[in-house]
Amino acid sequence: MASLRPRTLPLSVRTLRSTLRSTRPSANHFFSTPASTPSTQTPQIRAHSTSSVSADELSHFSALASSWWDPMGHSRILHLMNPLRHEFIASCLAEGTSSPNQSPSSTSTPSTATLNYLDVGCGGGIFAESLARTIPLDPTAPAPTPTLAASMTAIDPSTDLIQMAREHARMDPTVHEHLRTGRFKYLNTTLEDVLAGNVDTPTSAAASTQNPSSPSTQPAPQYDVVTLFEVLEHIDPKTSTPLSFLTNCLRALKPGGWLIGSTISRTLPSFILNQVIAEAPWPIGVVPRGTHEWSKFVNPDEVKGWLQEGLMRAADTGVSRGGSAIAEGMRWKCVGAIYIPGIGWKMVPGSEDWGNYFWAVRKEI
Amino acid sequence: MRPISGAVLRPYVCPTCRHGISAGRRRFGSKSDSPDLYDVVCVGGGPAGLGLLAALRASPITSKLKVALIESQDLRKAKAWDLEPNQFSNRVSSLTPSTVSFLRSIGAYDYLDANRVQDYQDMQVWDGQTGSRISFDWSMETSPFEDMRTVATMTENANLVRALLRRIADSGDENLSLFSNATVASIENGSDLKPEGPDLSAWPVLTVKPTGPAAETETPKRIAARLLVGADGINSPVRSFADIPTQGWDYGRHGVVATLALAEPATPPFPASKRTAYQRFLPALGGPIALLPLPDNHATLVWSTTPENAAYLKSLPTPAFLAMVNAAFRLDMTDLTYMMGMQSSSSDSTSHQAELTWRAQHTPLPSQIPPPATAVQTGTVASFPLRFRHAAQYISPRIALVGDAAHVIHPLAGQGLNLGLADVASLSKTIQYAVSHGMDVGDLLTLERYSSERYLPNAKIGGACDLLHKMYNVPGEGPVAWARSLGLGFVDRLPFVKSFLMKNAEGY
Repeated sequence: MASLRPRTLPLSVRTLRSTLRSTRPSANHFFSTPASTPSTQTPQIRAHSTSSVSADELSHFSALASSWWDPMGHSRILHLMNPLRHEFIASCLAEGTSSPNQSPSSTSTPSTATLNYLDVGCGGGIFAESLARTIPLDPTAPAPTPTLAASMTAIDPSTDLIQMAREHARMDPTVHEHLRTGRFKYLNTTLEDVLAGNVDTPTSAAASTQNPSSPSTQPAPQYDVVTLFEVLEHIDPKTSTPLSFLTNCLRALKPGGWLIGSTISRTLPSFILNQVIAEAPWPIGVVPRGTHEWSKFVNPDEVKGWLQEGLMRAADTGVSRGGSAIAEGMRWKCVGAIYIPGIGWKMVPGSEDWGNYFWAVRKEI
Repeated sequence: MRPISGAVLRPYVCPTCRHGISAGRRRFGSKSDSPDLYDVVCVGGGPAGLGLLAALRASPITSKLKVALIESQDLRKAKAWDLEPNQFSNRVSSLTPSTVSFLRSIGAYDYLDANRVQDYQDMQVWDGQTGSRISFDWSMETSPFEDMRTVATMTENANLVRALLRRIADSGDENLSLFSNATVASIENGSDLKPEGPDLSAWPVLTVKPTGPAAETETPKRIAARLLVGADGINSPVRSFADIPTQGWDYGRHGVVATLALAEPATPPFPASKRTAYQRFLPALGGPIALLPLPDNHATLVWSTTPENAAYLKSLPTPAFLAMVNAAFRLDMTDLTYMMGMQSSSSDSTSHQAELTWRAQHTPLPSQIPPPATAVQTGTVASFPLRFRHAAQYISPRIALVGDAAHVIHPLAGQGLNLGLADVASLSKTIQYAVSHGMDVGDLLTLERYSSERYLPNAKIGGACDLLHKMYNVPGEGPVAWARSLGLGFVDRLPFVKSFLMKNAEGY
């Protein structure tokens, strides 16, 4: 799908990282210095202060924003891929979750929905809204789907995209109700602010009342599942590191939780598919020209390497065991996905090197 | 497609309700009222609409959806429907094996009264003009020691409707609203319930008005549909609301139906349980006559013919009507055309039978003909116009059409109801997929799965029936008749072609 991701995504990711730079004295210490951000600073101000976004890209993005939810628009292939994300998440959760009362073997009794999700770089909310729809209105009821979602927090640094996502969510009364009760949140913020506890998260409201005077203490990880769909391939390796980005994603996870994403590999077949065919002129091409930059694509082994390193860093001091043990015991899943015109997206194990693939890693318990 | 915008409302108002609603809306329907929300609202309580509801209730994935069905007839009466064991309704359909397996999969088939359904394993089809013949049976596919394969299963529509209603009733009444004796007074786009409520401006909102005595006392209800399903027949109000055009034509033919009792067959069938359906094309009279088996040596008649012939047949006294039916399976085109014009009167109701007896002596009889019909069940002779319709599309945002609302075809292959239930099977599967993947069941991205699965098969079968109708409406000898007999003879002699055709006819 990455092949079809419109240019808006690179924008939002770049915005995220430039936001990071503009609000943090040092990118390497953003996690440990949450107090440096005045709590009065609103997300809108931050997003608008990102000077690294060119006017060109902004106007290009604004034009695409209106068609984000158009089933026949530029994001069509992205919409078509969305059901596969649910299936991949379900296949990960079947191996275990961070929630102690969820056991993968308890198929006889229906599970209740207990998992808290964080969607990083949610864009117009294609995935976030679809997951929010599966949150049961009655929290004690059996979970309707194997994704077991109890809450969803979706973040994106782009004000326009978050605004559009909120507007669209109002068109579904179920999702609207979740937005109203706070089980579903769209936040115009960055991952770093979420980690610093500067925004309302599933449990931070309770935590802040207990200890309002010490905002600098590192909050406990909040999330059972962190999702990162079609984000990695838009990170510019010259100005930012996927490693620090992934490390932060891992820090947001509870032990036993899953970090799940999808991206495109940087191989010859993917070059032909994504650059030559997918961006070809109509009627062959399906994505706007210039959507992707092949050199930014990342291969599965690169992601795996960053995640091994990220897991060690996220474990911080490594009190109980050595970092290399964590890396070796890492639960890693990876499966390719192929779009076949006229048929749709199909998971094809072994096709990771052809282009799009899903990956997941489980944080050690 | 209808425009989805809060500013542009293009309401559908059924013509008979237009008067009442213009006065009523001010009283009941102020815009700020928030309507009751439903996941699936189905307009029409025929086999397709009820089948969809039963399928949704049967699946654990969709059984929690809040569903509603609106039907103008009394569903309690339909649920309590009963007839004497030897009486059969004249509205009968043939269910293909794939339809039967769908009904089994949703747990509805066992609710059918098994004593009132009849399988048949053999189908004799021939051309009354040229005599060329094709016999559809599965004997070439199965060994004689196996059970015979069923070509189709005959059931009264009332039996099927009752079965589906009982299946739905046994699923409990949680999240289920059946609006019986109720009509859709209007459909319009909802409104944005700012600032607290959701934005329903793309949701269809229906005003449901009770009919009959309750209309005076009960106030109309307003319900909003995440997905509005039009199972509301050929003049579908849901389709009008969605602004979906439909193409087609009237065949200028009527289908004459009746429930008949047949004589004992001259040679008992072998094996004893084998039943046969008969269809003879009558190019000179405007269409085929078909006799389809019902239990206990009964049969249902479907005779497609011109409106004049249909009116003539309906005007005949019973003995003359029976003579015409028997003649239609036996005599040649010239004789039939003559008999179709014979004067008849109640004082001389035997003249048709006498004519048939005399003419049959001079006609070589085909080898496979149905036993003579001996009686017509009182009150079952009726006729209905034959039409072809195909909606330009089956879906629109938050709208799906199923059954006759989407397509009406010539009944000569008995496929109409089967196509409708195949729609329902596909739509219910589509809804299941959507629910389990967090999709909005009314979203176009969801519904296009249904539409892409059903549009082409329906067009193919509807087109094939149309082609058959046209081929068999060229009277006399000539290139078309010659091509016809070549075609049928060709198909009959090549087992693999025939087997392919039969598999297509039985569904997928």
